[in-house]
Amino acid sequence: MKASRTRKSAPSRAASGKLRVSPGEWLRQHWLCAKDALQRLFSQPVNTFMTLMVIGVALLLPALLYVLGSNLAQFGNRLTETGQITAYFHDATSDADHLSLVNSLQTDDRINVVNYISTEQAMRDFADWSGLGDVMSNLEENPLPASLDIHLPASGLTDINALAEELSANELIDLVQVDEQWLIRLEQILMLGDRIVLVLVAVLAMAVLFIVGNSIRTIIANRSDEIQVMNLIGATRQYMARPFLWLGLCYGFLGGVIAWILLALMLLFIHEPASALLGFYGSEYQLIGLGWQASLSLLLGSALLGWLGARISVSRHLTKS
Amino acid sequence: MIRFDEVSQRYPGGHEALKQVSFELERGEMAFLTGRSGAGKSTLLKCIMRTESLSQGQILVSGRNIQRISDKQIPFYRRRIGVVFQDHQLLYDRSVYENVALPLRIDGYREADAARRVRAALDKVGLLSKEKMNPIALSGGEQQRVGIARAVVNRPQILLADEPTGNLDPELAADIMKLFEQFNQIGVSMLIASHDLALITRLRHRMLTLDNGRLIRDEQHPSRQGAGSS
Repeated sequence: MKASRTRKSAPSRAASGKLRVSPGEWLRQHWLCAKDALQRLFSQPVNTFMTLMVIGVALLLPALLYVLGSNLAQFGNRLTETGQITAYFHDATSDADHLSLVNSLQTDDRINVVNYISTEQAMRDFADWSGLGDVMSNLEENPLPASLDIHLPASGLTDINALAEELSANELIDLVQVDEQWLIRLEQILMLGDRIVLVLVAVLAMAVLFIVGNSIRTIIANRSDEIQVMNLIGATRQYMARPFLWLGLCYGFLGGVIAWILLALMLLFIHEPASALLGFYGSEYQLIGLGWQASLSLLLGSALLGWLGARISVSRHLTKS
Repeated sequence: MIRFDEVSQRYPGGHEALKQVSFELERGEMAFLTGRSGAGKSTLLKCIMRTESLSQGQILVSGRNIQRISDKQIPFYRRRIGVVFQDHQLLYDRSVYENVALPLRIDGYREADAARRVRAALDKVGLLSKEKMNPIALSGGEQQRVGIARAVVNRPQILLADEPTGNLDPELAADIMKLFEQFNQIGVSMLIASHDLALITRLRHRMLTLDNGRLIRDEQHPSRQGAGSS
């Protein structure tokens, strides 16, 4: 320690004595902190693993429900895309009246296609389809009503219902059938499902906050000597908090990774029977996984939660100067 | 450098640790703070560090009233003061080198600059060859020297020591004091709390004696009369 040695190597200081750290140096310090956090996590593998598993399972539940919801939703989406209404005319109405209604419906924006099925057409279709042509031709009177076959674009369920009501109100129309009534129920179930996922996310996010917060609290308690020394030799609160925030971030992120892996394993496990079941409803249905966007959200969200949990813990338990 | 004006300090619960203490330590001066256990030596040092706050009076360090330093500025104030503790306060989860480097890391030094300074400090206390060891493997005297290296690595203007030789045998204690004198010779102001009268009366420095929180004696060593400020 020669007194003659200059201080030029020291970082620049403002007049107040406050330190200005260059961005590169600041990044390097953070990198060291992150590396140190990971090393600490892996220096106590059993403890760390247990904590991470708890966080992972807590995150797994909402992720699982989300996947379930998105798999159910594909039924809703597919069917509303081909939303269909069948409207039957009264017997005592004329073809001309029918055609004028058809014309007016064809100009309706909500409707993709309107097929008019006259009584004769209905009879022919039925005869072809049933193979009972001979029987039918012996009937004195055509018992089948004329009908409209209306297809809607992927416009959601509100249009279907509104249109169905309008048609019911029309005096030409005897009966309106929305074959997809159950769609409404599905949609409502899905909405309920979304809400449940949201509630679960909120509750389990809180659980993750507490888990990480408590782990960080224990670590702070174990390192109280170090914090005391740091405090006496002039470490700022931010500097002392930094390793714990990084620890929280690592906990959260790795917990998210575990949740993702568990979910992937579960999907792999149920893939075969689930695909078989879905295939029964049509080849276009497939088992949907988390997808990269939701995966990214899961990882970022869990990392953020971990950081937040650590922040809360640090603000409560890090000694004041 | 350090001026106490009628400083009193009362702990919560009513115990008065310091009673109207006044003295001034000149820049570059070295003084011993002595008195029985519980006389208030540690409290006085803690007040300078601002880990204890005053109930009365004021302390000026480099002309600045330290009670007025904001909480945010305290860390930066503490960086200008080196502290040596009786129990070393070393961290046993890292090497000697990392222990000494701690104040520089906090201060944001670049690695290469930090390395130079840490080695210089370790060289000064004679432990350069042990930089990679864990401090727990060192003897008490060596650990104390690591603590001193850490206290001086940032080249503070002021060095405080609280019973730095409390756990050492007389020979090692004398070595540590010699080390302090060397730092004092390059201009560091020093206040060393010690109850080891046998040792400190042999060293020719100012002696402040506390008794039950009161400064009862403030004597310049006879050979140094009038040489307080340099």
